[in-house]
Amino acid sequence: MTDWNAMTDEDFRREVHQFFESEYPEELRHLPHRPTFAEVEHWHRKLHAKGWVAPAWPAEYGGMGLSAAKLLIFYEEQQRWGVNRGRDMGVQMVGPLIIKFGTQTQKDYWLPRILSCEDIWCQGYSEPGAGSDLANLRTRAEIDGDDFVINGQKIWTTMAHDATHIFMLVRTDPDAPKKQQGISFILAPMDQPGVEVRTIRTLAGETEFCEVFFDDARTPRANLVGELNKGWTMAKALLSFERIFIGSPSLAQNALGQLEVFARGRGAFDDPVFRDRFAQAALDVEDHAALYSRFADQLKRGETLGADVSMLKIWVTECFQRITELMIEAAGPDGGTIGPLQVGNVSVDVLASFYKARPTTIYGGSNEIQRNILSKAVLGLPG
Amino acid sequence: MKQTEDNTQDQQDLRLLRESAQTLFARAGGSDRARKLRDAGGRWGDGMITELAGAGVFGVAVPEENGGLGMGLAAAGVLAEEAGRVIAPEPVVATIGLTIGLLYRLCPDHGMLEKAIGGETVLATAWQERGAAGVAPGRDCRFAGGRLTGAKAWIAGAVGADGYLVVAEGDGGAVLAYAEAGAAGLNVEGRRQADGSALGELSFSATPAELLAEGAAVEAALAEAVSDTTALAAAELVGLSGRAFEIVLDYVKTREQFDKPIGAFQVIQHRATDLYVMQEVAHAAVREVLSSMDRAAAGPQARARLASRAKARAGVAAKKITRDAVQLHGAVGYTDEFDIGLFLNRALVLSAWLGDDTYHRRLWLDARDKEGAER
Repeated sequence: MTDWNAMTDEDFRREVHQFFESEYPEELRHLPHRPTFAEVEHWHRKLHAKGWVAPAWPAEYGGMGLSAAKLLIFYEEQQRWGVNRGRDMGVQMVGPLIIKFGTQTQKDYWLPRILSCEDIWCQGYSEPGAGSDLANLRTRAEIDGDDFVINGQKIWTTMAHDATHIFMLVRTDPDAPKKQQGISFILAPMDQPGVEVRTIRTLAGETEFCEVFFDDARTPRANLVGELNKGWTMAKALLSFERIFIGSPSLAQNALGQLEVFARGRGAFDDPVFRDRFAQAALDVEDHAALYSRFADQLKRGETLGADVSMLKIWVTECFQRITELMIEAAGPDGGTIGPLQVGNVSVDVLASFYKARPTTIYGGSNEIQRNILSKAVLGLPG
Repeated sequence: MKQTEDNTQDQQDLRLLRESAQTLFARAGGSDRARKLRDAGGRWGDGMITELAGAGVFGVAVPEENGGLGMGLAAAGVLAEEAGRVIAPEPVVATIGLTIGLLYRLCPDHGMLEKAIGGETVLATAWQERGAAGVAPGRDCRFAGGRLTGAKAWIAGAVGADGYLVVAEGDGGAVLAYAEAGAAGLNVEGRRQADGSALGELSFSATPAELLAEGAAVEAALAEAVSDTTALAAAELVGLSGRAFEIVLDYVKTREQFDKPIGAFQVIQHRATDLYVMQEVAHAAVREVLSSMDRAAAGPQARARLASRAKARAGVAAKKITRDAVQLHGAVGYTDEFDIGLFLNRALVLSAWLGDDTYHRRLWLDARDKEGAER
């Protein structure tokens, strides 16, 4: 088995890039929507055969065992080549949790099925009354013999209509003194009478988000991961790496590239007002990248990231939005037109980019929540 | 392995240098000193230059073979940050970047370089000229037969300098000449700035001057020195806005209204957070620019573009942070008694000097387009 971490960063980057360049299907590059598994199955098989489905997992569980530094390179190359992450909730979210807190039996059963995508996962965290205030969740799981019986509703469940399983935070002790207590992390099959999925149509006209209703749905008690009522701390423990990932410059960088091609084609660069606004956006992206590499270097030195990493997400998502707003402006009267707009020999879908940027300031902890975190945990402001 | 050890050694040298600059500034009174000197008329001749020179500050970016420390712009930037934090009225950045930057590139063997590094003489560099609507595009100031004629503008540290480096037009192109303070036909006027400092306007009428260098080398050295100084001014701004942010953060934690610190209100928290993020982005960007400029691969065009990037970011950040810091102070922020206003005033002057953010974004994008077209 290859020890990727023993390679130099440059060699590793080249190796990853070459694989993507030669193997990733051209028609799936920079996919504007979230694919169903069927759309990316062929690519997933290739990744699986290569052993690259789970770059962050330890090698003993079938992952690549990458260090934080190498992992960052892997993701950077993935985003640069426009490689879709596929249906990676299992790999990104539930796998690491099982690896860290699961029993041997759970690991032996679930992990290989995640890697092969025999099971396709969705994440059941948010609820109608528990968005930013996630600990307010009310979906109940009550013990009944060898099963949990689940009642309640999840929302914003990405691609639930194309998933076989859901990992979820549920309330198992409604009488706990603090609402963060009494929450457990359980796994449940979707294909059963007590589970109903409805898709939600978004502003972009897509249906990647769902509502999931649980009406006496059942899952074996063996599907509890970690201790009963300890789900909150476990779920939070896994967020550290995600925080830098969610603040990576790539989305904004890609959008800036599109904006430049589009605006040049449309002659917007002859307008001094547009030029200044473009320069502002481009420098916002470039200077964010300088800050990002400061955090990346911290990871490379083996340090854990502090709460201050939240600033990456705030800056880059807002910057991403401004870039897509500039795209709409550069489109002039075509700014409200659905579908790709042709400029020269390329086409740019300005509306799709605009819509894609909107939820980035909402998901993963809204930017307002990130500001709360920074003001309390980093700046030490009271209250 | 050798490299790692060298790097560690460099880091250590840099830390020592930074600490000695910090100590010197703190001992002299920190930002209180800036206020006192401003009230006394904006002069800086209180021995600080000699002390800074003794610590090695002015020769920090000069190659070792020319009598400097050879630590590069990144190290000079760290010192500029310290000067910014205490609103040091001395022309630290102009001396390192322009004066010494021109001398070591053009006439390293002239005794003037050693004296400037040693703080024995303080020189101001006059390179810009005033046109009908701002900076003149060309150069009207003439050097012929050992005499200067014409005018120069926006000269940092001009009032109180021992002499002037003047970029003028000679018979064979650009000239770097030296004119002593008090030379015949030389008139020095200080235009008072928001922070109490003065930017000098010089006029020469057949003023005797010494020829230091001429020709294309002068243009090239000037371009490099201006890039360096622009980037260092950005570092000074980052130091300044960093300190201003600390002051306002402390203020919102202690000032109480409605029976609690105003920093407990979410609107204040979010505004403070935005300033913090802006400061961190500016700091990271300016540091990255200075290190990139130190790399041998960066040609003059790329260095100019990098410098513009730094000045644009630092200018936006410092203006925003100091303006908002005044707002978050409430009414007392508008008084001269509170220090925060000193930072706003200094930010205004420093961001306008050598071009503000709009100007530098334009240069940056023009340079980027040009490099793109050449590629």
